[in-house]
Amino acid sequence: MAELEKTTEATEAQSTTPAAAPEKHKGLNIPYEKRKALYGYGFIALWFFGSIYFFILPLIQSLIYSFHQTKIVTGGMEMSNPGFKNYYNAFRKDQYYVPALTAMIKDTLLNTPLIIVFSVFIAVILNQKFKGRTAARAIFFLPVIIATGPVIDIINGNMSTGGYAGGSEQFSTMFETNLVDDLLNFLGIYNISDRLTTIISELTADIMNLVWKCGIQIILFLSALQGIPYSAKEAASMEGATSWEYFWKITVPYISPMLIAALVYTIVDSFVDPSNDVMTLVLNQSKQWEHGYSAALAWAYFAIVGAILAIVLAIINRFVYYEVE
Amino acid sequence: MATKKEEREFEKERKKAIKERYARMKKEGLEKYFTPDQIRYNRNRRIIGAVWPVFRALILFGLGFVIMYPLLFMLSTAFRPNEQMNDPSIVWLPKSFTLDNIKQTAQVMKFDTFSPSILSNTIVNTIVLNVVASVLQVVTCSITGYGFARFKFKGRNVLFAIVILMIIVPPQITTIPLYLQFAYFKLFGIIPIYSGATGPDGNPELVSLINSGLTMYLPALFANGIKAGLFIYIFRQFFRGLPKELEDAAYLDGCGPFETYVKIMIPNAKTSFLTVFLFSIVWYWNDFYVSSSFFTENNTVALMLKNLDAALQQQLFDGQTVSIRQIIVWLESGCLLSITPLLIMYTFLQKYFVEGVERSGLTGM
Repeated sequence: MAELEKTTEATEAQSTTPAAAPEKHKGLNIPYEKRKALYGYGFIALWFFGSIYFFILPLIQSLIYSFHQTKIVTGGMEMSNPGFKNYYNAFRKDQYYVPALTAMIKDTLLNTPLIIVFSVFIAVILNQKFKGRTAARAIFFLPVIIATGPVIDIINGNMSTGGYAGGSEQFSTMFETNLVDDLLNFLGIYNISDRLTTIISELTADIMNLVWKCGIQIILFLSALQGIPYSAKEAASMEGATSWEYFWKITVPYISPMLIAALVYTIVDSFVDPSNDVMTLVLNQSKQWEHGYSAALAWAYFAIVGAILAIVLAIINRFVYYEVE
Repeated sequence: MATKKEEREFEKERKKAIKERYARMKKEGLEKYFTPDQIRYNRNRRIIGAVWPVFRALILFGLGFVIMYPLLFMLSTAFRPNEQMNDPSIVWLPKSFTLDNIKQTAQVMKFDTFSPSILSNTIVNTIVLNVVASVLQVVTCSITGYGFARFKFKGRNVLFAIVILMIIVPPQITTIPLYLQFAYFKLFGIIPIYSGATGPDGNPELVSLINSGLTMYLPALFANGIKAGLFIYIFRQFFRGLPKELEDAAYLDGCGPFETYVKIMIPNAKTSFLTVFLFSIVWYWNDFYVSSSFFTENNTVALMLKNLDAALQQQLFDGQTVSIRQIIVWLESGCLLSITPLLIMYTFLQKYFVEGVERSGLTGM
């Protein structure tokens, strides 16, 4: 009770408008809704001030940098030559930026559907009941705890090397045995057509990356699959749905809301990955103290990816099924 | 509600009954009971039921192997004497085992230094940094998430859009301005604090937070640490999923909103807290981008591993450049050393990573 009285006093002091404080209202001067709103501000205050200082200000600052030539001096950044010069240079003069950008976008657009389909597939399997499911889950979520760190760089062999070794030499021994070619030979379909072989070997070479990038998405889809009510399953089996029909008519609609989360996560993840080409360019520029130019590269990239994200979401949103409107 | 065990028994009984009935009907001739369509359907189901588990086991085993491959390779290499790296007769099992690689790598990564202070030990330093930052982050993010989930106020949607923006904007965009803010630190961005020394231009120098743990703690304290946006989102979803009656009861009993949060909501959100805490630990442990921007002398495991290549060449090969084949055993030892703590944590708390996320309300997206 003491708490309540205290808060009443506190809110009394805050209420300034006479309309909000009718005199004979047994002490509660501010309407309940308004009081709750004040508490809401209280709960998010810490984050709000933090994000102004640690997020919004730096964000605006870097946008300002991107329109200037910058030079670091004691106490801050010295800016000169305002204008769109950085952006102009990025798209018209930089010989690496545009190719890296298009390659990156193409890669993301190709890999994202693969990752999504693959993680739905794995999630459906891991949701079934079988012996050793816990162990299987433990293994498939393992990438979640490893793949975000520098360990994955060493595993993939693309470490920062100081430029002494060729790319092929860096590949650790794990990829030396060419199992895929052996398998193709064994099946007797090796080199039927060069193109087919290239496609197959590219796909299989990427399986490693694919599997390692799916951890979070599998968790997301698995949690959505757990949300499918048993009644839906029962009804489907009463109606004589095959597993295939069940997948398309029941599973897909129910997990479609999670599709958005998984899509955003996948796209953003590949976008901010420090080892992708565009990010490497951005980081290199800022290592060379070209902060203005680096910020311009990052912002242009961010704008393009944001636009892609918006388009993809707008399309996907039309096919999403929400049980509760 | 039946318990899980009972449900399993019911399921078993039901299956048995169906089987028996089916056998009985088959004896009398199926055509009497089913249309041809139904017969075909049942037959297909039975075939799939027999084939699918085998197929599934194959897929799981194969993909599981792909995931485990690097780890197995790590184990196989880390304990292998360096000379045996070029022995073509060795694929997985080396002829002899050695702990030298691990010991030498631990030395290079400063896992065994305890002077001048205990914090110069990489592992201790990283654990302290991670745990403090994660605890701060979990507490503040949950408070923020609760605020967004349960209170209606003007501008809530706009403010929540900032949270979404925090998820989407990569840290690379904000790092440089943030670096400058930390390097020339002013309290609340306004009040300058002077370190006492004078800079090259004669003016008193501002306090620099670079290399201090505060560059991690301060953002975490204000719910802006690594991946804070995601955590706020998770907590908001979770709190939204809890029944409103819980709070109403507390309010009626005279709890203020903050008291309600501490006494009612936190106990209910235990699993969610643990999950977010674990993920936070993992992301702080693995982070090398943010820490490499703010630390030049502060050793964390991820930074050490990132520079292991150069450090190895300097300390073990007298600064000669060597190819990756020559130092792979040490690199893999380094990997093993740096993920072992995470792996140990994962083995014991695996359940909370998986089930925690399932129950933490992410489902309601």
